[in-house]
Amino acid sequence: MKSIGARLALWYAGAATLTMVGLFVAGYYLLENQLIRGLDQLNKAQFAQIRAHLGEDFATLSPRLIDSRIRETSDFSSVLFFITIDDPRGPVRPVFYSTNLRGAPIPDVPGRRVFNAFMTGIGELRVGEFILDPFDVTIATPLNNVREAMRNYSEICIWMLFVMIAISGAIGFGLSRLALRPVRLIRETANHISSDNLSERIPVAAVRDEISELAQLLNQMFDRLESAFDQIRRFTAEASHELKTPISLIRLQAEKLLMHGKLEAGDEESVHMQLEEISRLSQIIEELLFLSRAEARDIELQLAAHTPESLLQSFGQDARVLSEHRGLRYVQTHQGLGTVLVEPRWVRRVLLNLLANALNASPPGGTVTLNSVVDAGVWRVSLADDGPGVAAELRERIFERFFRLTPAADSAENGSGLGLAICRSIIALHGGRIWADTSPGSTGLCVVFTIPAAA
Amino acid sequence: MGRGEPTKILVVEDQYRIGTFLKQALLERSYAVTWARSCGEASDALCESGHDAIILDLGLPDGDGLKLLQQWRKCGFNEPVLILSARDAVQDRIKGLDIGADDYLSKPFSMEELMARMRSLLRRQSAVKEAVLEHRGIKLDLVGRTVHLAGEPVDLTSREFALLEIFMQNVGRILSRKLICEKCWSSHYDHEANLLDVYMSRLRAKFEAIPGPPVFKTVRGVGYQLL
Repeated sequence: MKSIGARLALWYAGAATLTMVGLFVAGYYLLENQLIRGLDQLNKAQFAQIRAHLGEDFATLSPRLIDSRIRETSDFSSVLFFITIDDPRGPVRPVFYSTNLRGAPIPDVPGRRVFNAFMTGIGELRVGEFILDPFDVTIATPLNNVREAMRNYSEICIWMLFVMIAISGAIGFGLSRLALRPVRLIRETANHISSDNLSERIPVAAVRDEISELAQLLNQMFDRLESAFDQIRRFTAEASHELKTPISLIRLQAEKLLMHGKLEAGDEESVHMQLEEISRLSQIIEELLFLSRAEARDIELQLAAHTPESLLQSFGQDARVLSEHRGLRYVQTHQGLGTVLVEPRWVRRVLLNLLANALNASPPGGTVTLNSVVDAGVWRVSLADDGPGVAAELRERIFERFFRLTPAADSAENGSGLGLAICRSIIALHGGRIWADTSPGSTGLCVVFTIPAAA
Repeated sequence: MGRGEPTKILVVEDQYRIGTFLKQALLERSYAVTWARSCGEASDALCESGHDAIILDLGLPDGDGLKLLQQWRKCGFNEPVLILSARDAVQDRIKGLDIGADDYLSKPFSMEELMARMRSLLRRQSAVKEAVLEHRGIKLDLVGRTVHLAGEPVDLTSREFALLEIFMQNVGRILSRKLICEKCWSSHYDHEANLLDVYMSRLRAKFEAIPGPPVFKTVRGVGYQLL
C-alpha cells in the first residue's frame, strides 16, 4: 500500500511537472518570437526615420550628401542600430556605413528580407533589408537583449520547475493518502481480524464506490472464513466425541476380557498389547486435538507471573531422577532476575518433552545440560544433549507433526511423533519461539526456546 | 450407603453403548444404577430419590452437562459428581472442577480407573484422616513427615513421600497412573517421560526389604497397587 501511495504521488508530480515543462517551452518560443518581431518593428521604424531624413530627393543625392543627411541620426542611435545603404548599380559601394560598423559590411543572406546574422566584435544581430530604389537599406539591431531576456526567462522557469516538483510532490502525497485512506482502514481492520475476533468486520462507507465494494467483498470473504473456522472448531469437538466413544468401548471390552480371567496366557498378552495400543491411539488423538485447538487459538492460558527459578526447581528435581535412572548426568543452571508470564503446567510439559528427547538421544554416560537465562526482557532456555545431533537441514523439520529421525517402524520409542510440534504450539501460545541448534562444544542437539519476560 | 442398602449411582450418559456398558459394569459390582440419557431425565431422577454419586457426561442432547451441574449445585444438591467426558482440554477439566465436580475422567477411560475414582469419591464423604499410616511395617507420619520401615528411618525425597502417602491412604486399591500423576504432580500428563515408573522403581528399591510378596504391584495398562 505504501508503494501505491508513493507511486500515485510520483505520477501526480511527474504529470504536473511535465505539463509545466511543456508550457514553459511553448512560452519560450512564443516569447522569443514576440521579442524578435518587436526588433523587426524597430528596424522598420528606423528605416522610416532614415527615409524621412534623406528627404524626397534621395534618388539623386550623392553619397556625400547622403552621409551628411543621415550621419547624425545614425550616430545618435548607434547603440541600437547598424545601418548600411548600398547602391547595387552605383559606382560607389557602399553609399553609407554607420560609424559603429567600423567599415565592415553587415552579412547578407541572399533571398531573405529579415534574418539573424553574426558579426565579430558586435555579436548577434537582427537584420532587416529595405528597398529605397535605387538603394538597398540594411538596418540591424543587436539580439543580445533578446538573448538576455530569454536566459532570464529560462532561469526563472527552471526555478519554478523545482518549486513545482516540490509542491506537486507534496500535493500528490497528500492526495494519495486521502485517496488510500479507506484502503488503509481496510488493511488495519483486516490485519487485526484473527481467529480470536473473526466476527469483526470492515466498516463499509455509505457511498458506493470501488473501495466500499472491495470492503464488502472482503467482508464476504471473512464471513466464509468465519464459518470455515467455526466448522473446524465444531469438527474438533465432534471428532473428539465421535472418536473417543468407540475407543472407550474397545477399551472397556478388552478390559472385560481380562477381568473374567478365562484367557490363556498368550491371549491375555494380546489383550494387554491391545490396551497399550489403545492408550497410544487415544494419546495421539488427544495431541492432535490439542494441536488443532492451539492453531485455532482455542486454548486459554491461565497466565501468571512466575520466576524461572521456581519453575525450574520442581522440574530439575524430576529431571535429575529421570537422568540418573538412565545412567546420565543432568546439569541445570540459571542466571538473571525477573518473572515470566506463563502457565506452569504447559512450560513443564515442554521441558519434560525436551528432556525425554535429550535422554533418548544421549549416549550412555552422557550429559544433558539445561541453561536458563533471563536477559534483556527475554527468558531463554536451552536444553542440550551430547548425542549424535540432527543435520542442519532437518533441524526445522523436527518440529513438524509425525516427523521422525528414524522411520517409525524401526523405532523402539513409543512417542507419538507430535512432541516437538506440541512444544512449538505451547511456546507460541506464550508468545515465544522455539528452535533447534547444535550443542555448544559438541555435536549434539540443542533445543532453545524464548519467552518474553514480564515487564 | 452401608446399612445393607446398595450404593446408588446416577449415570448421566447419552451414548447408548457406553451407557449400557456402564450400567452393566456397575450392576456387576453390586451398585444400584439409574441411567439418565438427557439433562431432563437426570434432574428428574435426582429429585425423585437420593443418589450416593453421579457420573456425568458433558455433551448431552438437551444441554450442557456443566450447566446442569451448576444448576444442581445452586439448588443445593451436593452429591459427589464425577465428570466423564470426551472433552479433554485442561480448561474444561478446570472449569468442571470449579463448578463443583469432585473429579474428572476423560474418555476413553478404563473401567478400573472409573471404579477406583468412584470408590475414592464415596469414601471422601466419610473419610477420617489419620496422622500416622501403617502397613506391612511401613510407618508414615503425616505430621512429622517421616517414614520408618521396621523401626528404621527411611530417607525419602518429597516426591517419594507424596507418592507413598497416596498408596498408604489407598492400601489394596488399584491406583491408575493418571490418578497418581494428578495427585503427585498436579499434572494430567505423564506419557512422555515415564516419570512415574522411575519414581516407582526408586520407591520399590527402598522397600525391598519387606518380606513376602512385592509391596508395589504393577497392574498392566492401569497403574499400581500397594499390597
